[in-house]
Amino acid sequence: MSKIGASRIARQYESNAAFETRLRKRITKLILLSVAIWVAVLFGFPMYFMGMSAFKAESEILATPFRWLPEEFVGVAHYERAFDIAPIGQWYANSVFIAAVQVGASIFFGAMAGYGFAKFSFRGKRLLFGLILSIMAVPFQILLIPLFVLVRQFGWQDSYAGLIVPGLLSAFGVFMMRQFAYSIPDELLDAARIDGAGEFRIFMLIALPLLAPASASLAIILFLFSWNNFLWPLVVVQDPNLLTLPVGMTVFSQPYRGDPIIGPAMAVSTLATLPVALLFIFFQRYFIAGMMVSGIKG
Amino acid sequence: MRRLYRRLWSETSVISRRQYWGLIFVLPVVVFFAVFFLYPLVTGFILSLTDFTLLRPPVWVGLDNYFDLLKDRLFLKSISVTFGYVFGSTVPTWVLSLMAALLFYQKFPGREGLKLLFFSPLLPSVAVVSVIWVVLLHPNGILTHLIGPLFGKAEIAWLHDLQLSPIVIVIARVWSVIPFYMLIWLAGLTAIPQEMRDAARVDGANRLQSFLSVELPLLRPTAVFVMAVSTIAAFQGFTLQFVIAPNQGGPVDVNTTLGIVIWKYGFQFFRMGDAAAVSVVLFAFIMIITGLQLGLGRSDDYSLN
Repeated sequence: MSKIGASRIARQYESNAAFETRLRKRITKLILLSVAIWVAVLFGFPMYFMGMSAFKAESEILATPFRWLPEEFVGVAHYERAFDIAPIGQWYANSVFIAAVQVGASIFFGAMAGYGFAKFSFRGKRLLFGLILSIMAVPFQILLIPLFVLVRQFGWQDSYAGLIVPGLLSAFGVFMMRQFAYSIPDELLDAARIDGAGEFRIFMLIALPLLAPASASLAIILFLFSWNNFLWPLVVVQDPNLLTLPVGMTVFSQPYRGDPIIGPAMAVSTLATLPVALLFIFFQRYFIAGMMVSGIKG
Repeated sequence: MRRLYRRLWSETSVISRRQYWGLIFVLPVVVFFAVFFLYPLVTGFILSLTDFTLLRPPVWVGLDNYFDLLKDRLFLKSISVTFGYVFGSTVPTWVLSLMAALLFYQKFPGREGLKLLFFSPLLPSVAVVSVIWVVLLHPNGILTHLIGPLFGKAEIAWLHDLQLSPIVIVIARVWSVIPFYMLIWLAGLTAIPQEMRDAARVDGANRLQSFLSVELPLLRPTAVFVMAVSTIAAFQGFTLQFVIAPNQGGPVDVNTTLGIVIWKYGFQFFRMGDAAAVSVVLFAFIMIITGLQLGLGRSDDYSLN
C-alpha cells in the first residue's frame, strides 16, 4: 500500500516537474516571440510605410491615427505622377545599363585576374595582388576629387563613360574570384594543356564556366554596389537625362512646385527598391552571404 | 642524352610561357587600377598641395591648404560633427545589433518569418532610406504623432532643429544598418561550438554567466570586425546628411560631415586643392582606425567558411 502510494506520488511529482519545465519553456518562447514581433515590426515598418503609402491618397499618408491599409486606394496614380514629374524611366534605364556593364566586366575580368593570381606564378605577383588588396582598404571619398579631375581631363564629364568606366572593375571581385579559382583542379587544366588547348582557350572554356556559378553572391553584391552608388554619379553628371535613379530620385524629398509629392516619392522609392527585393526573395542565401563577405552596408 | 636535354629545355619553355600567361590574365585589372586607383591616389596628395579651381592649371602652395584648414570654421565644425556622428551611430549599432542577434539566435515559433521582416532595411539604398525618412520625419508625420504628445507638441520640425536633426539622422542610420551587423554577429554566434556552451552549463554556469565567460570572448574577432567596419563607414557619412538634412549638411552646418565638406569645397566652390586636403585628413583618420583594428585583434580570424 505504502509502496504503491509512494511510487504514485513519485510519478506525480515527476510529471509535475516535467510539466513545469515544459511550461517554463513555453513561456520563454512566448516572451521571445512577442519581443521578436515588436522588433521585427519596428524594423519592418518603414518599408511597409513606403510600399503602402504609394497607394494612399496624398492626404491620407500622414493621417492620424496611422492607417495600415489605404482607405482610398489610388491605384498607380502616384506612379504615373512620378513619371510626369521626372524622367524616371530614363534614370531607371541608366541605372540598369550601368549596373549591367559594371557587373559583367567585373565578373569577366575579375575571373580572368583571379584565375591568373591563383593558378600561375609570375614575377611581381605578390606585389600586384597586394595592390589589389590595398584598393579595398581605401575609401572612395579619398579618390573623389582626383578621380573627378582625371575623368574631366578625359572629357568624360556628363557621359556614360564618366559614369561607368571608373567603376568598371572591382578589386573585391578579383579577390573573391581568386578564392574561387583555387578550387579549380589543376589536373583538369593540365589535361586540357596536354590536349593542346591554348591558355586563353582553357580560361574561356574550362576556368570561366567553373567560376561563373561560384560567383552568384559576388554578382549580387556587385549589382548592389552599382545600383546604390550615389556619390560618384552625383558629381560626374549634370545632364538630367544622364542621372542615375538614386541621385535623380532625391528631387522627390522636396515638394514639387509647392505641392507635397509624398505619394510619388514613395512610389519611386518602391521602384528603386524592387530589383533588390526580388534578388533578396529569390536568392536569399547568396544575397546574405554576399553582403556579409563584402561589408557593403557598413 | 641530347633527347633528354631537349625535353627539359622544352618543358622549361612551356613553364615560362605559362608564367607569361599569368601576367596577361592579370594585366587588364592591373592597368585599370593603375589608372583609376593608383594615379588618382597619388595625384590626390599632390592636388592637396596646390590651389586648383579647374579653370587654370594647379598652383603649388606647399602645405598652405592644411594650415588654412586649421583656421577654417566649416572644416573644424565638420570634425566635431563627424566625430559626433561616428560615436552616436556606432555605439548604439554595436549594442542593438548584438541584442538582435541574440534574440534571433534563440528558437521560437515564427522566427524565420520575423527575421525576414527584420531584414527589410537591408534592401533600400541610402538614397531611398533618405527619402523615406524625410517623410517619416515630416513635421506632422508619424514620428511626431508618436512622440509629440509626450512633450505636448502637435508639430515637430525634426530636421530643422539644431539639436534634433543630427539625432534623427543617427536614428535613420542605425535603423538602416542594424540588420547587416546583426547578420555578422549571428554568424559569429553560430560558429561557436555547442559543446563549449554545454561544458559551461555542466560546470554550473547560468545563461548569463555562460554568455559572458564563453560566448563573449569567442565573439571577439566578430566584435573587432563589427566595430572597425561600422566606424570606417560612419567616418564617410555623406548621403543621409546630403539628402535628409536641409541645404546639404544643414541646418547651420550641424550635419556637415567631412564628406559633405569635400563635396562643398570641390563641387560648390571648385576649390579642388582644399577639397583634396580635407580628403587627406579623412584618409588619415580612417587609416588610424584601421591601424587600431589591426592592433586590437586579428580581424582576419573572422571567417565565414
